Amino acid sequence: MTMNIDDDQIEIIQEFVTESRDMIEQLEPQIIELGQDSDPETMNAIFRLFHSMKGSAGFLEFDHMTRVAHAAENLLDLIRNGEITLVPDHVNLLCAACDFAKEALEMVESNYADDEMVGDADVMAEQLHQAIETAKGNTPPVEETPEIDQTVEVGVTAELPQLEINDEMRQSFVTEGVELLQNAEQGMLAWGEKSDDPEPMADLFRNIHSFKGNCGFFGFAEMEKLAHQMETVLDRAKSGSPLAVDNPADSLLAALDLLQNAVTDISEGRDGNIPDLDEHLTELQKLLPPMIGEILVEEGVDADHVSAAVETQKKPVGEILIDQGKASPEQINTALKKQQSAKNSQKKLVKSPASRASTAARKQDIRVDLGKLDNLINLIGEMVIAENMLINNPDLKGLELENFTKAGQHMSKLVRELQEMAMTIRMIPVAGLFRRMIRLVHDISAKAGKKVDLVLSGEETEIDKTVIETITDPLVHLLRNSLDHGLEPPDERVAAGKGEKGTVTLSARHEEGEVWVTVKDDGRGLNREKILEKAISKGLIEGDGSDLSDKEIYNMIFMPGFSTAAQVTDISGRGVGMDVVKKNLEKIKGKINVSSTPGQGSRIDLRIPLTLAIIDGMMVRVGDTTAILPTLSILEAFRPNTDQITQTPDGDELARVRENFFQIIRLHKILEKEPDSRELVDGILIVLEHQEDRFCLFVDEIVGQQQTVIKGLSEFIGNVAGVSGCTILGDGGVSLILDIGSLRESIEGKISEQEPASEA
Amino acid sequence: MSENSTAAVETLLGTDENEDTQKDKYLTFHLAGEDYGIEIRYVIEIIGIQKITEVPDMPPFIRGVINLRGKVIPVMDVRARFSIEDRGYDDRTCIIVVNIEGTEVGLVVDEVSEVADIPEKNVEPPPRTGRSTGSRYIQGMGKIGEEVKILLDVQKLLFDEEMQQLLGTVDEAQE
Repeated sequence: MTMNIDDDQIEIIQEFVTESRDMIEQLEPQIIELGQDSDPETMNAIFRLFHSMKGSAGFLEFDHMTRVAHAAENLLDLIRNGEITLVPDHVNLLCAACDFAKEALEMVESNYADDEMVGDADVMAEQLHQAIETAKGNTPPVEETPEIDQTVEVGVTAELPQLEINDEMRQSFVTEGVELLQNAEQGMLAWGEKSDDPEPMADLFRNIHSFKGNCGFFGFAEMEKLAHQMETVLDRAKSGSPLAVDNPADSLLAALDLLQNAVTDISEGRDGNIPDLDEHLTELQKLLPPMIGEILVEEGVDADHVSAAVETQKKPVGEILIDQGKASPEQINTALKKQQSAKNSQKKLVKSPASRASTAARKQDIRVDLGKLDNLINLIGEMVIAENMLINNPDLKGLELENFTKAGQHMSKLVRELQEMAMTIRMIPVAGLFRRMIRLVHDISAKAGKKVDLVLSGEETEIDKTVIETITDPLVHLLRNSLDHGLEPPDERVAAGKGEKGTVTLSARHEEGEVWVTVKDDGRGLNREKILEKAISKGLIEGDGSDLSDKEIYNMIFMPGFSTAAQVTDISGRGVGMDVVKKNLEKIKGKINVSSTPGQGSRIDLRIPLTLAIIDGMMVRVGDTTAILPTLSILEAFRPNTDQITQTPDGDELARVRENFFQIIRLHKILEKEPDSRELVDGILIVLEHQEDRFCLFVDEIVGQQQTVIKGLSEFIGNVAGVSGCTILGDGGVSLILDIGSLRESIEGKISEQEPASEA
Repeated sequence: MSENSTAAVETLLGTDENEDTQKDKYLTFHLAGEDYGIEIRYVIEIIGIQKITEVPDMPPFIRGVINLRGKVIPVMDVRARFSIEDRGYDDRTCIIVVNIEGTEVGLVVDEVSEVADIPEKNVEPPPRTGRSTGSRYIQGMGKIGEEVKILLDVQKLLFDEEMQQLLGTVDEAQE
């Protein structure tokens, strides 16, 4: 394998690496679940992971990986059969095996060989074997030892105890099976066209092989047999031996169709048996030896002559035999005809493609270059703007254009749909990211000696793929922090009257056009005094800090090198992590909210803007400037009368709305614009809500509602308080989108410099 | 106006935009009675002045943002950058769109003149006056016969420390 690797093989290897990584990523959390409850399904899923890894690695001749996967498989098999009981050590061992596999995959990816992993593989395999031995020694043997030995030696397909196969497993078998078979079909067709190209062949073989494995695992014996027979044929073809017919693909395709039918059968709840299985097996068997010779023997030609002819086979067998006078042309013709008719009958088995369409629905993915997707999304964004410009074109003002309006509305609808579609393309659920954290929490809690329940929620929330990559590190650091500093050790918790087990919640949800990812723990909370003390000792603040709000103080934990941990553990405490959190969040223009209650825990929200978001916006006007407010944040709007307005001694204006008083923020002050009127009674007050906080925004006029494509302000400008981005209007102008969350901060920053309070 | 300028610059820039042909070429423009030049490789296009949307909390020389065919780009007034008195915009006022390391910024100038060829030997080092705010951004003095063009360092013009500080304070105001 290490010698001559051509591009095709590289491709196969790369595919193997990607696939295996995906599998490991999926299953790692489940391994940890194993420790908590031994659900047979989880067990089987993990077993399958190592089994397929073993299979694929074996096929690609990555021996060391195969070895480890095999050992892990053995261990799991024993556990699954109840021959040994699962102990926490096993979970750790399996996790380690996953780590090994990850490392090996990396090695494979760069070197196309896993030779360097030999040492690690030895250790790993040895540990696994040891675990098996120890476990076997400790467990009272269920049966005699030979029985166990047999299970260890025998592969998977041979002797599986009857599994409880539920609908979900069945469904996943069907989905996977259909996919494998379709891939195989593609491979078959490609191979039919270019039979000298090894790549489709290898692919084909692998697909059929995996399918066979799955069938065996689920106990669909008939399908397994057929797949096995196909595999034999393919193996022959792969090794370069000629097959009996010049286009074996036809009969193989026929067999594939049978398998597909059987899979459909299963998806409909039946048993997936194949009618006339033996006949089909024979059909495939016929492909194996040089068939014409056999037919000739049947026709009465001396078998020795035939084999002699086969020996010297350069010309078609028939011609040689005629040349040698060992067979008459008639005999050969009959033989050829027979061969032909055999082929034809096989062809008939190939069903029309239409019949395949009935195969159970499944999910299909394609990998697309990210750059292309970005371009597409940008283009669609521009199209929305162009559409706006067209429909709201100033030239059309005042014209009665009935048909144009209709056409325009239709187009708007299509554009909207297109846009929604485009937005979802890049989005993937956070579930994958969250599930990766299960392993992390498991490891850390073990190391830190704490008991933790990790609660995940909102896993289905979708975030842009690149954003997910950017927040992976921050999440790791936040979780580490929560576990290491936030949560107390069990005894301390009990002393504080809390449950022994801490809870860390990781959640994601949509809020105000952003995605909020929250890490919450019920630990001791942030220590205001400690943070302050540290900040003062580091000279980060002046004075004693008594004038700082909790929020300002909590935010200091994100400064580089800031750590209040009394001692640096190998999990955290160096003060690097939180800095990373902030940096990465800034990269995606995200924000961080920290809140904490001493003794009850802390909560950190990562506020992530959607990349290409379209929001429902309300356009407001101040003087000659317009700005957009997210409609979601608007509670109500009204024209105030004088009795509703109160002015406090320190200059704040308050508006009374029923039983509540809200602070009034003047938009013209934020935008530094001259409004139509400074009298509150001349304008409109809009009640806005941001989290718990409510206030009124004073504007001249509400212009109207519109779909708004959010564009970032240029990086050159950076973050601006009170503004979350901008959008392009129908007339080509740019309008700012206001950030409700930071409007108040924005006005506080200006209050000192602004004009004398002469209003109302 | 904007079409004219764009067309003009296209002919000026030529279609072949490789490094060699752009060497020693400067886009020159008028500003308060002086001629300035910037290296042509930074220039993307020239457009007429258009409606600028102001952004709060910006230094005075950042006039706001404009829509350049669906892209939102910030606009810097070069007069204000050099603390030269504002004279308002007219139909000769142009926005030169430059791109530095992927950041696109529009520069408002009084009037775009031409693309001039100034070989290295005709470029003198910047004078050491240090008196005006503008001289920090000078890359050199280009001579074409009797004429003198002040060649600007676009990098410094856009990413000067002062600018960084201003942006920095804005960033911190976020906290």
